[in-house]
Amino acid sequence: MSLAAEAFVSQIAAAEPWPENATLYQPLNGKNHFFMLISCHVSYVPIMSQAYLKMCGLPVHLCCRANAEYMSPSGKVPFIHVGNQVVSELGPIVQFTKAKGHSLSDGLDDVQRAEMKAYMELVNNMLLTAELYIQWCDNATAAEITRPRYSSPYSWPLNYILAYQKQWEVRRKMNAIGWAGKSLEQVYEDVSQCCQALSQRLGTQPYFFNKQPTELDALVFGHLFTILTTRLTNDELGERVKSFTNLLSFCRRIEQNYFEEQDRDSQSGASSRHSKGPSLM
Amino acid sequence: MGTVHARSLDPLPMQGPELGVHADDLDLPEPEHETKQEVLENKDVVVQRVHVDGLGRTKEDLLTYEIADVFKARNLIDVMKKSHEARQKLLRLGIFRQVEVVIDTSQGADALPNGLDVTFEVTELRRLTGSYNTMVGNNEGSMVLGLKLPNVFGRAEKFTFQFSYGTKETSYGLSFFKPQPGHFERNFSVNLYKVTGQFPWSSVQPSQYFRSHAHIHIYPFPIWKTNHTLKWEGVWRELGCLARTASFAVREESGHSLKSSLSHAMVIDTRNSTILPKKGALLKINQELAGYTGGDVSFLKEDFEIQLNRRLFWDSVFSASLWGGMLLPIGEKSSSIADRFYLGGPTSVRGFNMYSIGPQSEGDYLGGEFYWAGGLHLYTPLPFRPGRGGFGDLFRTHFFLNAGNLCNLNYGEGPQAHLKKLAECIRWSYGAGIVLRLGNIARLELNYCFPMGVQSGDRICDGIQFGAGIRFL
Repeated sequence: MSLAAEAFVSQIAAAEPWPENATLYQPLNGKNHFFMLISCHVSYVPIMSQAYLKMCGLPVHLCCRANAEYMSPSGKVPFIHVGNQVVSELGPIVQFTKAKGHSLSDGLDDVQRAEMKAYMELVNNMLLTAELYIQWCDNATAAEITRPRYSSPYSWPLNYILAYQKQWEVRRKMNAIGWAGKSLEQVYEDVSQCCQALSQRLGTQPYFFNKQPTELDALVFGHLFTILTTRLTNDELGERVKSFTNLLSFCRRIEQNYFEEQDRDSQSGASSRHSKGPSLM
Repeated sequence: MGTVHARSLDPLPMQGPELGVHADDLDLPEPEHETKQEVLENKDVVVQRVHVDGLGRTKEDLLTYEIADVFKARNLIDVMKKSHEARQKLLRLGIFRQVEVVIDTSQGADALPNGLDVTFEVTELRRLTGSYNTMVGNNEGSMVLGLKLPNVFGRAEKFTFQFSYGTKETSYGLSFFKPQPGHFERNFSVNLYKVTGQFPWSSVQPSQYFRSHAHIHIYPFPIWKTNHTLKWEGVWRELGCLARTASFAVREESGHSLKSSLSHAMVIDTRNSTILPKKGALLKINQELAGYTGGDVSFLKEDFEIQLNRRLFWDSVFSASLWGGMLLPIGEKSSSIADRFYLGGPTSVRGFNMYSIGPQSEGDYLGGEFYWAGGLHLYTPLPFRPGRGGFGDLFRTHFFLNAGNLCNLNYGEGPQAHLKKLAECIRWSYGAGIVLRLGNIARLELNYCFPMGVQSGDRICDGIQFGAGIRFL
């Protein structure tokens, strides 16, 4: 998001309170329930934005659209549609809610905030890239899971064209950041190291910055939850994450506190999640 | 009897029917040979041989269809006439740069005393030719660079590559064209092209769209007095908003879609010219069925165009036209912004901005599923007729009255309710202006308009409006 756009958002957004009809859009519609579940959660990890909004206590509708990626102004999902504003990706969404007076990191001092940013960068650079690598660069996963899932809303021959186009794009990105030469084993190792760092930071605290969740918690939860609940061609990645028991219980805690309770509160309400999402239990 | 040279007339422009100009529009003068008519007409002759000189890669069987009629000639005038026709046919194939006809008495052992030999001296086009054009569309202009491989396989097939850079659209495309031997007007073409363009009326700032096309044309084949065209079209469309401020309704339409449709068009055209006709009528009916041959959009689209022209006193012409169309989405999905109709602008309902009538969301026009538009025109020569018989004849003054409406219909309501809705809130306008005719292809208009019946949200152009285009209401 450009500086001007950021300024625009913070100027305009501050004036209005959070509306009831805010909608979070994520890819793929609900034609195929199985595809929807894994896609909504793996594709671009929209669950972290959802977790973040839940942590802020902001009500949001969920909406799955096949063309969500193209509807988003930045081409990335998820995005929220609030009033007449469209904001995409976690970072800008955090900015946007902050402008509306909802922030999770207000209680932090400057040092903690810098630390939080550093860890968020680590997660974005490591976990996100590793997920992309496994989805698109591991041939077995790409052929069996990622491409069929990505192409499911389209008809022939567009499904093939778009899936290969996407794969080509991701591979080009991997080339640019020097991941193309890595083996799957090396990627798993990177994920382990990242988890190691997160696990050490978390220690025995309930959240990364003690009692209160922050956007870092939303981000880490989003990625780990996705890794843990997504079925891939082999379980190696999930097993690596599961070996960090404090991270596992951290995910369970967030899931219980923010997803299950609210589901019980409002089964059909605005903030309810899909009735039978994947679960860690 | 000496040698008769039927010298070539001005060569025909080398263009296929895809440019929209039919050879019969050009009103070529018949060759005149009246001075010798009395002497030669009665003399029976036999065309013994027809030679075609200068052939390289062209296959002979293609030419036999074109020159077959020459053998049927029974006297000299007939021979000249038929040879001339054959020459026109050969030029129309678009594979020869030059065709000359030489008629001579037969030579050799088996020559009859009244035998004639007809020789066509042809020069083939090069294997690769280039072209540069400027084109005018409906309120847009473009520059077209083309590469052409005429007569690739020796039977008037043609490969073209085109790059066009325009004010609204940029496109490049590849097309293959094959006529049926002996029936050049029946042809088959496959086109693949990619277009990137803008719908500025659908977003405050331009939104982008992109299309990749493949279509197969079989056209036109005449049945009785009508001309029919069949077309299969596969279009891959990617719509996207570049502007952050694009309305959410437009944003929702972004992404990829694939249209595969079969369409049929019927045309009856008795007008004397396509631009500023003086007499005759036009009826055009188009129907398109998408979805049954694949793709992810399904709809049935029907539209028609009627135009009547009548010559009145003092060289003035009265013209009335009516357009209408409807789009019926099939299945649960609603229609796409790329398939709907748009109305308004200097080429349809004058006095309104381009495509700025009808349903809209936050200032972006979304188009409609149902529309009609009608126009009454009175074309007269310029006052005091300056430049009469020359340049001044390209200009006309006109007085017009336009009306139209565009809306979305809820298909549960029944036809009565639909008609009522179309009759409500009619936009109309009247005014006068000057029309300039550009060749037989395009026309320019400068009008002073008074828009009426303006609904909230319509963007109007009260006063002077300029229009350029090929299809006018």
